[in-house]
Amino acid sequence: MKVLTARRVAAVLATLSLLLAAALLLGLASGPSGLDASEVARALAGGGASDAAADIVLRIRLPRVVLAALVGAALAVAGVLFQALLRNPLADPYILGVSGGAALGGILVLAGGSALGLSYAAVPFAAFAGSLVTLALLYTVGGRGSRLDPTTLLLTGVVFNAFASAAIVFAASLAGLVEGARIFLWLIGNLSALRGDVTAAVAAFLLVGLACAIPLARGLNLLVLGEESAAQLGVDVRRLRRVILVGTSLMVGAAVAAAGLVGFVGLIVPHVLRLALGPDHRLLVPASALAGAAFLVLCDTAARTLLPGRELPVGAITALAGGPLFLVLLRRQRARIFAP
Amino acid sequence: MSGGALLALAVALAAAGEGASAETGAGAKPPSRIVSINPSLTAMLLALGAGDALVGVDDYSARQNPELAELPRVGGLHDTSLEAIVALAPDLVVLVPSLEQRDVRERLAELGIAQLALDPTSFDDVLGAIEALGRRAGREDAARTRVAAIRRAREERQRESAGRPRLRGVLVLTRDPLYVVGGGSFIDEMLAIVGVENLGRTLDGSYPRASLEWLVAARPELVLDAGGDAAAARAFWSRWPSLPAVRDGRVVAIPEGVATLPGPWLDRGLETLAQAIASPPTYRRQPTLGDDEP
Repeated sequence: MKVLTARRVAAVLATLSLLLAAALLLGLASGPSGLDASEVARALAGGGASDAAADIVLRIRLPRVVLAALVGAALAVAGVLFQALLRNPLADPYILGVSGGAALGGILVLAGGSALGLSYAAVPFAAFAGSLVTLALLYTVGGRGSRLDPTTLLLTGVVFNAFASAAIVFAASLAGLVEGARIFLWLIGNLSALRGDVTAAVAAFLLVGLACAIPLARGLNLLVLGEESAAQLGVDVRRLRRVILVGTSLMVGAAVAAAGLVGFVGLIVPHVLRLALGPDHRLLVPASALAGAAFLVLCDTAARTLLPGRELPVGAITALAGGPLFLVLLRRQRARIFAP
Repeated sequence: MSGGALLALAVALAAAGEGASAETGAGAKPPSRIVSINPSLTAMLLALGAGDALVGVDDYSARQNPELAELPRVGGLHDTSLEAIVALAPDLVVLVPSLEQRDVRERLAELGIAQLALDPTSFDDVLGAIEALGRRAGREDAARTRVAAIRRAREERQRESAGRPRLRGVLVLTRDPLYVVGGGSFIDEMLAIVGVENLGRTLDGSYPRASLEWLVAARPELVLDAGGDAAAARAFWSRWPSLPAVRDGRVVAIPEGVATLPGPWLDRGLETLAQAIASPPTYRRQPTLGDDEP
């Protein structure tokens, strides 16, 4: 394992920041309408572009790449934290059922909200409530006194996810055609809904989550040794766990509310980074935020441009790109472990 | 399954041979127990005066037509209940041979229940479907009158629009997610008839999902919004003043089901569309979406 120096942290984070900046620029420059680069530059500079070009770059593409970056960062950081907390490389918000709970909360409002007098604007709050309820359930079932059993927690998550999926399909089958189409897009994950308030919520929740997670990175490193060892080394395990679980559900709730169920980001980004950078969370947490953001911006740019004039759900792209990549990584990791 | 439904199933099975022959037999008695599982075909039957023969409909038909609220329902597009249909002992089931209802169609055929599959995709398909339903339901005269009225309206609107420059327009079916009318559907033909160049034709499919960026880049001079909810529509379109249609106040609400249902009232649909694109003074009296902008 490489030694973590301030210089190395700075170098890695600077590289990833450049990658993210490149992804954002690519996202701003590409789209189905085929504006040329000079017009995009004029729109960004704030003068000389046509009204339509300015609208496309500043009011359609810009909010969207920003949202993609925030959602990608939130999901990747949540994935890192869950994996450390549960000492299980398969843990991510999707698999633990936290995403599913958030989606169920949001979809109940989408499908039946108008009957209860709730508007579309209530969806993000319902999603956040859903992720908190899921978490409380995971805690109640998976907790043993003051300890948290990772295997039970993971199993509870898998079972709850199946339950949430079934409930979502049930709700969708009762909904009308338009609501049904929205729910379908949400289930795959998509970033086409441009809502400023939701983007602001994701940004706020992401910052809170990062502010919670980065100071805890040393504790997370020790937690990998096991809860008892970490406690013996002076980590307040219960507090650590509580802060991380609440912080991650904030991030996941906001991300799901904005983009639906985008899979694989929380699983594959931390994995790739762990392979490349080693297991130190003081570097992994901020690196995951930057790489997750860049990854989702690139995937969403592909979703917007692969078929001219039409939009694919970004979740389909992350799954198509992420699934095979994950298997390749898993195989290489095994090869390394079993190599003589 | 309840005893009554079981009995009805037995009756339906016993009547199978008869039903099959009734489908092909020319000059047979018109059916008296019709189940419609498509809202367009339901609307046609009602328009032709064959509504009394309906004994069951799909959920959407029931929602669209208050006079059918009391009729038994047999499910929706994706969850049609075969058992509910059979329990009604229909002597004819009318349906659209869509992908979703292919299974139902095959099972109905296995059970020997007579069916009439009609596919109202293009404008002429719709006219053909009205005529076919009229023949089958013993309402040939009503069907002929209705089809003639639609043909007249088509010629009239075509004459009207022939001398005018075409408007570059788009018909929005739902705003979020954004679905528009593409090429190859009866609505696309109706737009052409009233003098609109349908920008949605550049996308793939009859009712493609489009992106907002595509819409802004296409710079439509006319936006027809069939998405409902006038207040939400106003809020949505006012955010995009760079669209020529928004700038010029040519965003017009199209009532749901009038121009977008491939049913018996295509002449009314043409009239709605023609009014929507008529010159601004006329158009101002239409329910526009851009009028009371601040």
